Amino acid sequence: MKRAVLLALGVTVVALAVYPALGTGYGVRSALQTFMWIALAGSWNIISGLTGYVSFGHVAFFGAGAYAGAILVTSAGWPWPVAALAGGVAAILLALIIGYPCLRLKGPYFAIAMLGLNEVLRALVSYFEGLTGGGNGLSLPTLDASVPIYYVMGLLAVAVTGAAYLIVTSRFGLRLMTIREDEVAAEAMGIDTFHHKLGALLLSAVGPGIAGALMARDQGYIEPLSVFPLATTVTMIVMVLFGGKGTVWGPVLGAVVLFIAQELVWARYPYVHPLLFGAIIVLVVLAMPRGVLGLLQMRYRLPRTI
Amino acid sequence: MLGQVIVSGILSGALYAMVALGLALIFGVMRVINIAHGPLLMLGAYCTWLLYVGLGLNPLLTVPVSMAVLFVIGLVLQRTLVFRVVDAPELSSLLLTFGVSIAIVNLAQLVFTSDLRAVEYITGSWVIGRLAFSKPRVIAFLFALGVTALAFLFLQRTRLGKAIRATSQSREVAMVCGIDVGRVHMFTFGLASALAAAGGALLAVIVAIQPEMGGVWTFKSFLVIVLGGAGNYPGALLGGMLLGLVEQLASLFLTTQLSEVVAYVLLVVVLLVRPSGLLGGRQT
Repeated sequence: MKRAVLLALGVTVVALAVYPALGTGYGVRSALQTFMWIALAGSWNIISGLTGYVSFGHVAFFGAGAYAGAILVTSAGWPWPVAALAGGVAAILLALIIGYPCLRLKGPYFAIAMLGLNEVLRALVSYFEGLTGGGNGLSLPTLDASVPIYYVMGLLAVAVTGAAYLIVTSRFGLRLMTIREDEVAAEAMGIDTFHHKLGALLLSAVGPGIAGALMARDQGYIEPLSVFPLATTVTMIVMVLFGGKGTVWGPVLGAVVLFIAQELVWARYPYVHPLLFGAIIVLVVLAMPRGVLGLLQMRYRLPRTI
Repeated sequence: MLGQVIVSGILSGALYAMVALGLALIFGVMRVINIAHGPLLMLGAYCTWLLYVGLGLNPLLTVPVSMAVLFVIGLVLQRTLVFRVVDAPELSSLLLTFGVSIAIVNLAQLVFTSDLRAVEYITGSWVIGRLAFSKPRVIAFLFALGVTALAFLFLQRTRLGKAIRATSQSREVAMVCGIDVGRVHMFTFGLASALAAAGGALLAVIVAIQPEMGGVWTFKSFLVIVLGGAGNYPGALLGGMLLGLVEQLASLFLTTQLSEVVAYVLLVVVLLVRPSGLLGGRQT
């Protein structure tokens, strides 16, 4: 069984690795976006799925990474792979600033602080026009790098999923899940809950930061509205909830299924998109809080670390 | 100049206090942060706009109507969805109300489109000495004070109000005393939605309305209850005034663009320095 799963994984990775040589431009672009959603959903899962602290503004890390990367490419002339890493660092710094005051407390403080963060960053970006181009946005020098970005984004998706696996199977992950189940009990057992939550938040900020910088490079143009949309956070949340929060493969499953569904079906009805996502969130919370993978785990007695 | 800032701050502060009181009630009684609070306020604003455009009603007369409509919507929301997650972990109620809020905003976009709508009622200002009092804001201020006072009177004097306060002090003891906690929850959610609706209806007279106006109100209401101390109902009044003043001061010394940033910094600083709020502890 284990061997078959590893084999299937290996075949998928090889197929995706040779795909850009064979596939169409549209196919590569769609795969690239799927990788991005896997990385974003997987990252959201680390703080919210494992620790139970809901981040309603995870797109803020994506946007911060996008701006940091774009500014370094345009103003400092950094090569884009280095700028992408810097985007991750920028996201970590932002996470520290937000997490330090908000995660010391229990309860919804963190969730609401993240809810407001988006608007604040958008206002700041518009205010510091000299650096960010304000509402006019920022254009990056033209460069056709979609195939290298495809590989880097793919690596990022693998890295985030791998990190999730390592965390879930580690003592660190166990402690995070203890915090989720009962924070007071976790503290009583001697877990330093604040530093564990902060660690989870930092880990969950890196991926979106790098992904943001990569998308900025790929699209060649960013503006406040395009990198800080609430819709991106909503999509991340829906993907994780649907796939199964707190699992390793749930976010991957959710990202792939919902991205394909979105491209094939819902793209025709853009006006009711949020309504549909809102309904999915409500339904999943009420009817299957552990998502599709959670149902499968219970039904087929699959391991917890899947 | 400073006098003007204080006047404007207090005028908008009463509105903040009233809307935040709704969020504080739900949080106090059910331990649920209602992310859909701002979107419910938006629905209240559209109620007023519909009555104003459709029936030509005086916008101030629509305030009780909007409140009544949203009271019913709030009851239904609690009865159908929210009651299922009251005892669940926080994650569930946050996500559920988040889903509801996205759906409400999208429905409003479908029904009312995203165009800016305005209720033109009174414009201009009264000038007293060197201070200008914007007429619509003064009227909204007086209404907000009145509604908040009524809400407090209700909480202090009536049986149901006392039941609400008892439930927020200790649900178990309230149950032992024979209070129907489920009914209290429903009524609280309705009352909170009505307070949000009053805010929306008054706001419709002051600013242009659109479906996405609500989001920032959820955040600001939460900031107000953090300032006043979570679960502390009188604290919401102080918090509202404070937020109004700080925002006005920010727009005096910085730009209006950054007033939201200042509100945010205020939240972070308060959480760092005095996480239990300025008045501290629970006091219902």
